[in-house]
Amino acid sequence: MKLADKDFELFRDYIYNLCGIYFHASKKYFLESRLARRMEETGITSHADYYKLLKGGAGGAQELKRLLDEVTTNETCFFRNVPQLTALENKLLPELVEVKGKIGFRKLRIWSAGSSSGEEAYTMAMILLEKRQTLLKDWIIEIVGTDINETVLAMAREGVYNSYSVRNTPEFFRKKYFKQESTEKFILSPDVKKLVTFTHLNLYDDTKMIFMKSFDFIFCANVLIYFDTASKSKVVQHFYNNLQPYGYFFVGQSESLHGVNDSFKTIHFPGGFAYKK
Amino acid sequence: MDTNVKLKKAQEMVEKISDLPTIPIVASKVLELLDKPDVELEEVADMILTDQVLAARVIKIVNSPLYRSSQEIKSVKRALVYLGFRHIRELALTCSFIEAFQGKDGAFDVMTFWEHSFGVGIVAKIIAQRARYIDTEKAYLAGIIHDIGEVFLSYYYQKDFQRILQEIKSTPYKLVDAEDRFWGTNHSYIGVAIAQKWNFPPEYCEVIADHHEPELATIDPNLVAIVNLADLFCSVRQLDYGGREWVSFNLAEEKAWDILKKFAPHMAKLDVERFCYELDDRVPEVQDLVKSIFEGMVME
Ligand SMILES: C[S@@+](CC[C@H](N)C(=O)[O-])C[C@H]1O[C@@H](n2cnc3c(N)ncnc32)[C@H](O)[C@@H]1O
Ligand SMILES: [Fe+2]
Ligand SMILES: [Fe+2]
Repeated sequence: MKLADKDFELFRDYIYNLCGIYFHASKKYFLESRLARRMEETGITSHADYYKLLKGGAGGAQELKRLLDEVTTNETCFFRNVPQLTALENKLLPELVEVKGKIGFRKLRIWSAGSSSGEEAYTMAMILLEKRQTLLKDWIIEIVGTDINETVLAMAREGVYNSYSVRNTPEFFRKKYFKQESTEKFILSPDVKKLVTFTHLNLYDDTKMIFMKSFDFIFCANVLIYFDTASKSKVVQHFYNNLQPYGYFFVGQSESLHGVNDSFKTIHFPGGFAYKK
Repeated sequence: MDTNVKLKKAQEMVEKISDLPTIPIVASKVLELLDKPDVELEEVADMILTDQVLAARVIKIVNSPLYRSSQEIKSVKRALVYLGFRHIRELALTCSFIEAFQGKDGAFDVMTFWEHSFGVGIVAKIIAQRARYIDTEKAYLAGIIHDIGEVFLSYYYQKDFQRILQEIKSTPYKLVDAEDRFWGTNHSYIGVAIAQKWNFPPEYCEVIADHHEPELATIDPNLVAIVNLADLFCSVRQLDYGGREWVSFNLAEEKAWDILKKFAPHMAKLDVERFCYELDDRVPEVQDLVKSIFEGMVME
């Protein structure tokens, strides 16, 4: 069914106010087709009725989750941003370990915000596991993955992947941390899974965001690209507040914080940036 | 360490090399011409044309990407006009240097070296334009020659250099610092020792000498700062000598950035991330330029 302009605006603003994702007019068709899927499933025939359901009809909260599952883009893979990982291994992690080690606080807290099906968080887990005998001996490692989409969170918790997810994974890691059951089935090792906890979190929910305290590394890659500048700023300010003074914040390849936040300082490294208080 | 000590050490290392290349004949005749008080552009162009390789390089360098005037420049004379009389000397010297080190692959190959150098030249020119620095051609040429000490070390001190590269591989240590530790001097001082022997103009010598310590510059600190920043950006954006060193920096802490902002306050608002992403897109153009400068010029 064709989405009337005024209905488009209604849904657009509703979703925006809820989670910060902003659909430009050029994305109208995308929204229309996703709404159509949900309406078919629920047997609702008008956009107005569907909107009413979301806004407080019986089962509205459940339906809202399903709609959000439809409208979020979940594309991800292991080892997605190699330059960033190299910087972390080469410099940022050793420096941080030195600073924290000095004050005798041997614990690392890492957050993958907008973690999708978990690949980003688990990539960090594997990299840190490799340092367990050396740099991170006797350290406690806590990795948290959060997302608004329940379906991908369930996939993350399950830890079973296909060949597309592991396409960038170096042979070494693939052999060591996955059990390959078939050409399309890669089961992540329990040692890796143990390090990561996945929870539901809407980054646009201020009341929840203030509790995500004291992280050493925060990743929010390929999430804010769906936001507008105002909603980006709001979310990034939370990351700023929740980051340790010596910690680092990362965004995705070709993203930028220019005009979004001027408190962060930009660190340049080959092929990317990290942000620091 | 004292800069005088480093310079002395560098001069010794340069003097030790008995077969140090000299300026090719035509180029040195061009330089002689330029010393004549009333020389005509025509005369210089004719002299350059007696060396086909030199002539072709002059045209290609002037036609570098992003920087091409609306029409491609096809004659030496127009190239010289475009570049301006005051830059012919540096251009001739730069071409001579390219010629002199052609095929002298050492610890790294010469092409990668020039890709970095031309990258820095082009980025220096872009920064100069944005900062409204008066002489953007000077920034371009100074960028091209800033690291000439490196190609010397890579070729004439190949074994030691190889060891240094190995040592700093995938660590965040800077190559200049590693050179200092190993030799008690580094490519900036080596570079300036060579540049002085070749009679590069003083502003260019200063860029070579101070491009890793821009706060020391006195003749043209803004030029040195521009080249320093261009160098930093290139080192993190694929014009990095094929990753021979792993560089990271915080622009807010770079002295060159302070110098440049004092000179051009509006630069504080530069969208640095975007600037870097734009550089990424330009890398292939730089590589093509360098390839074209060497194309069909394999030595007999
Ligand atoms: C393209 S994925 C990125 C995955 C991973 N970070 C990466 O870079 O590969 C974007 C994820 O952000 C999530 N997301 C979008 N808006 C969100 C919000 N307001 N709160 C939490 N997660 C959100 C989506 O559900 C999706 O899983
Ligand atoms: Fe240098
Ligand atoms: Fe350089």
